[in-house]
Amino acid sequence: MDHIGFILPTYLITFAAVAALAWRVITRGRSLARQLPDEDKPWT
Amino acid sequence: MAITAPTTSGSPAGAARAGGPVVLHTGTRFTRWLGILTIASMALVAAFGLVFSPPDVVQGEGVRMLYIHVGTIWVAYVAFVVTALASAGVLWKRRSSALTLDRIAGASAEIGVVFMALTLLAGALWGRLSWGKFWVWDARVTTTAFLFITYVGYLAVRGLGGSHQQRARRSAVVALLAVLEIPLVHFSVKLWRSVHQDASVADRTSNVTLDGLMLFTLMLSLVAFSLLFVWWVLHRQRVLAMQDALDDRGLDLALAERRREAQADAAIERGGAH
Repeated sequence: MDHIGFILPTYLITFAAVAALAWRVITRGRSLARQLPDEDKPWT
Repeated sequence: MAITAPTTSGSPAGAARAGGPVVLHTGTRFTRWLGILTIASMALVAAFGLVFSPPDVVQGEGVRMLYIHVGTIWVAYVAFVVTALASAGVLWKRRSSALTLDRIAGASAEIGVVFMALTLLAGALWGRLSWGKFWVWDARVTTTAFLFITYVGYLAVRGLGGSHQQRARRSAVVALLAVLEIPLVHFSVKLWRSVHQDASVADRTSNVTLDGLMLFTLMLSLVAFSLLFVWWVLHRQRVLAMQDALDDRGLDLALAERRREAQADAAIERGGAH
């Protein structure tokens, strides 16, 4: 594939950034959920 | 899979009896299925974008960057419009639901900023490939960067001090002003002379010009990134809700402590007077 040095980094950076930030949201949610009673979690 | 609190009995029921939290995550059955669907659709975007879709007659293999570049800017636009709609709701309602809308606005703006940054990054790489430069002071590129900076500013305004209600109303006004930039960015290629390409899917006469598989891959990308946005907003606004709840609890504890100190001081003064 031509220009793979541009195309592959575009995909890798996008997917890696999204995965890392999504993981951070999940872990932050787990951390906060330990500190609060369930009545402060309206989605439960 | 539910994540449960460590308890003396080692079970969620034990945690409930002990009065501790049972739910230790921000997920629901819906968001779990949505997450699985998002990962699957993203994998398909990578497969079709990198392998199955054909090269373009003009841009060759470089067209594969379109599926990321357009997908990310689409989510950024949607995120900023959701921020504006939720912010309008904040100013419209003055009850507790306004804070929920404010958190949706904040979560959506954060995600929009992330995707706008990814758009600029992918655009820089694509620009180097197509125009020979990572950056040009083109109308579309410059207005997009300006929109990105505006929403970074919006997030900064959200981080200023004050009560949650003050944060909600203050940032809602900024969001309703910031969203006005989106038409400027979108139509910048028509308003000014630009090296950036016009609409990707259809030409000026609304005729679809993309090859079938390329069009399918682009639509798949829009759907996959949209699913990701919904999943992310749901989780992030729940995290923000818990942060607000913890702030409130911290404030309540500080007020109670201050009241106790004031009562103790008053008792000492009364004792001194006798």
